[in-house]
Amino acid sequence: MNNEENKDIAHRQHVKYFMRFLNILPPSLSSHDTTRVTIAYFSVAGLDVLGSISSMSLELRSRIIDWLYRLQVHPYKETGNMSICGFQGSSTINMDLEVTDSMCHYRCGHLAMTYTGLCILLALGDDLSRLNRKAIVEGVKALQTVEGNFAATLSGCESDMRFVYCAACISYILNDWSGFDIEKATDYILRSINYDYGIAQCPELESHGGTTFCALATLALTDQMHRLSEQQVEGLKRWLLFRQIDGFQGRPNKPVDTCYSFWVGASLKILDALQYSNYGSNRRYVYETQDSVVGGFSKWPDTCTDPMHTYLGLAGLSLIGENGLLEIEPTLNITKRAHTHLKSLHQQWAES
Amino acid sequence: MSDCSDHDPNWVPYKERPEWNDVTPIPENDGPNPVVVIAHSEKFEDVYGYFRSVLQRNEKSKRALHLTKDAVELNPANYTVWQYRRDILKTLNTNLQSEFAYVESVIKQSPKNYQVWHHRRVLVEWLQDASLELELTKDALEQDPKNYHAWQHRQWVIKTFGLYSQEMEFVDILITEDVRNNSAWNQRYFVLNNHLGWSDLNVQKEICYTLEKIKFVKNNESAWNYLRGILLHDKRGLCGNAVVSSFCEDLYKNKCRSPYLLAFIIDMCDEAIKKDETNCLYNPERAIELCEALASKYDKIRTKYWNYLLERFRKCRGEQIINSNGLMDEIE
Repeated sequence: MNNEENKDIAHRQHVKYFMRFLNILPPSLSSHDTTRVTIAYFSVAGLDVLGSISSMSLELRSRIIDWLYRLQVHPYKETGNMSICGFQGSSTINMDLEVTDSMCHYRCGHLAMTYTGLCILLALGDDLSRLNRKAIVEGVKALQTVEGNFAATLSGCESDMRFVYCAACISYILNDWSGFDIEKATDYILRSINYDYGIAQCPELESHGGTTFCALATLALTDQMHRLSEQQVEGLKRWLLFRQIDGFQGRPNKPVDTCYSFWVGASLKILDALQYSNYGSNRRYVYETQDSVVGGFSKWPDTCTDPMHTYLGLAGLSLIGENGLLEIEPTLNITKRAHTHLKSLHQQWAES
Repeated sequence: MSDCSDHDPNWVPYKERPEWNDVTPIPENDGPNPVVVIAHSEKFEDVYGYFRSVLQRNEKSKRALHLTKDAVELNPANYTVWQYRRDILKTLNTNLQSEFAYVESVIKQSPKNYQVWHHRRVLVEWLQDASLELELTKDALEQDPKNYHAWQHRQWVIKTFGLYSQEMEFVDILITEDVRNNSAWNQRYFVLNNHLGWSDLNVQKEICYTLEKIKFVKNNESAWNYLRGILLHDKRGLCGNAVVSSFCEDLYKNKCRSPYLLAFIIDMCDEAIKKDETNCLYNPERAIELCEALASKYDKIRTKYWNYLLERFRKCRGEQIINSNGLMDEIE
C-alpha cells in the first residue's frame, strides 16, 4: 500500500467495496451466515456516511428493504405470543415451525439484528410502516434479565452490555420504552463501571472500549447521563483519552485498532470530550489501514479489510470532521441525516 | 471458518446417505431478491438443508445430534444449532462427559466464539460440575492471555462455585510473565474484592506488590490503574498513604516523568483540593505545573486534555484566592 496516496478517502473505491458486499460473498464468510443483516448494515451505513445512498439504484434500495422485512418475525396468530418478535439475521432458520412455545424459540428475533435492521431501513429512507412495532417492543421486553441486562435472543444466548445497547437503540427508534426497564438497565451499567472508570461487558470484568461505548450510549439514549458522578465522568474521560496511542486501543496495553476510533471516539463525543483527543494522529492511523486500491479499511495496517472496520473507520473519521463524510449521530451509530428522518417519523407517529 | 468439503475425500453428502433417505432436505428460502448472499459450499447447503428438515420435524435422535456437529463445524456461530443440540442432548439423556471433551475441541479451534462458550456454561450449569473449567480457561489464556471470553467464563465459574483458593497464584504467574497484562491485573482486583477482602493489611500488601511492579516498569498503565483501585479501599484516599506518596515523590525526584506518575500526582492534588486539605506537596499550583509539563513535553498526544485539566485547576485556584480574600475581609 502506498501511504503517500493514503491521505484522502478513497471514496469511489469504498462505494464499490460496500456494493460488492451487498451483492455476493465468498464461501469463506459462511461463519457469518446468521448475521448477514449486520453485514448489510455496515455496507448501507457505510454508503450513507460516504453520502452515497443516492448512488444506489432505487431497485437495489427496495430489494434491501424487502429482504429485511422478510426477516421480521411476526407473532403467531394462534397464540399471540410476541416474545419471539424482532428481526432474524438471515433466513437460515425461517421455515414454518410447529406452533408450540418450545418450537417457536428456534425461530425468533435477535436484538443485534433488529437494531441493525432498523438502522438500514432508516438509512434507506423507509417509513417503517411495515414494522409490527408493538410486537418488536414485546420481543425486547422478553429479553431483559433479572440482572438488568439483555440476552440477544430467546434461547441459547448469553446476556451482556452489547444487547443492553441494542435494546436501548430499538426502544429509542420505535419511540417506545415499555419493553425496557430503564432503572434496572442503568443499575447494571453503573455496576459494570470498573476501578479504572472504564466500563466492562458485565460487573467486575475488564474495562473495554466497545462495552464502554454501549454503556454510555445507552445512558445517553435513556437520558440517564446525570446518574454518573462527576468523579465517574472525569474518570471515564481520562480512561478513554488514555486509549489513544496514535489511533485508539480498546483496553490498556493492547494494540490499537481502527474500530476504536469509533467506539472510543463516539464515547468521548457523548461525554463532550472528543475535542481533547489528538485528531491528527487518530486520522493518520486510520488512513494507514485504508486500502485505497480496492477499498476498505482493516484493523491494522496491511491486513485484511472487512466491512465492519471499513464502516467504523469511516464513522471514526466522520466524528473528527473529515471532509467528504456525513456527520454521525454517535449514540445510535447512524448518520445525522438518517436520524433526522427518524425524528420526522416520530413526529408523524405522534400526530397520527 | 474454513470449509473443507473440497479437501475431505471421505465426506459423503447427506443426500447420498441411505440412512437419511427418509428425510427431504429443506432449501433455504431467502426470497426472490436477496442481498448479502453468501455463496455457500455444496457441503454447507447439504448439511443445513437437512438441519432445517430435522428441526422442522423436531427430530431428536442420535443421527440428528451428529448432524448438529457437522452444522457447527461449518458455522460455530449458529446459536440455533447449538440450542437444538442441547435440546437433543437433554432428550436423549446423553452422557455429557463426552460433550465436555467435544466443546473443548471446538473452543480450541474458535476461542473467540460467543456461542461455544455459552454452550460450555450451560453444560457446567446442568451438571453443576466446574472441575474442568479452571484448566480449560487456563489453556485458552495460554494461547491468548487477554481472551475476554475465557476471562468471562473463568470469573463466572469462580464466582458461582467459589473456586478462589488458587486464583491469586494464577494471577501472580500471569503478571510475572507480562506485567502489562491488564486482564490479569483486573483479575487480581476481582480476587481481592470477592475473596481476600480489603482489610487494612491486604490493602498495604497490595500497595507494596504494585509499587514493586511499578518500580520494575514505570510506564505501565495497568499497574497505576490498579494502584488507584486499591486506594479506593483506603480510607485515607490517594494522598493519605505515606508509603504511596513517598514512593511517588521519590520517583519524581529521581527524574521519572512517566505520564502515569504525573497524572497520579495530579489526582492527589485534586483530592487534596476537594477535601480542603491542600499542603505544600498537593495543591493547585503543583497540579497546574504538572499539567503544563504533560501538555508541553511528556504526553503531547493528550496536550488538549492536560490543558483542559489545567483550566479546571486554574479556576479552582481562583476560587481559593477569592475564598481566602473573603475570609480576610471577615477577620478585618
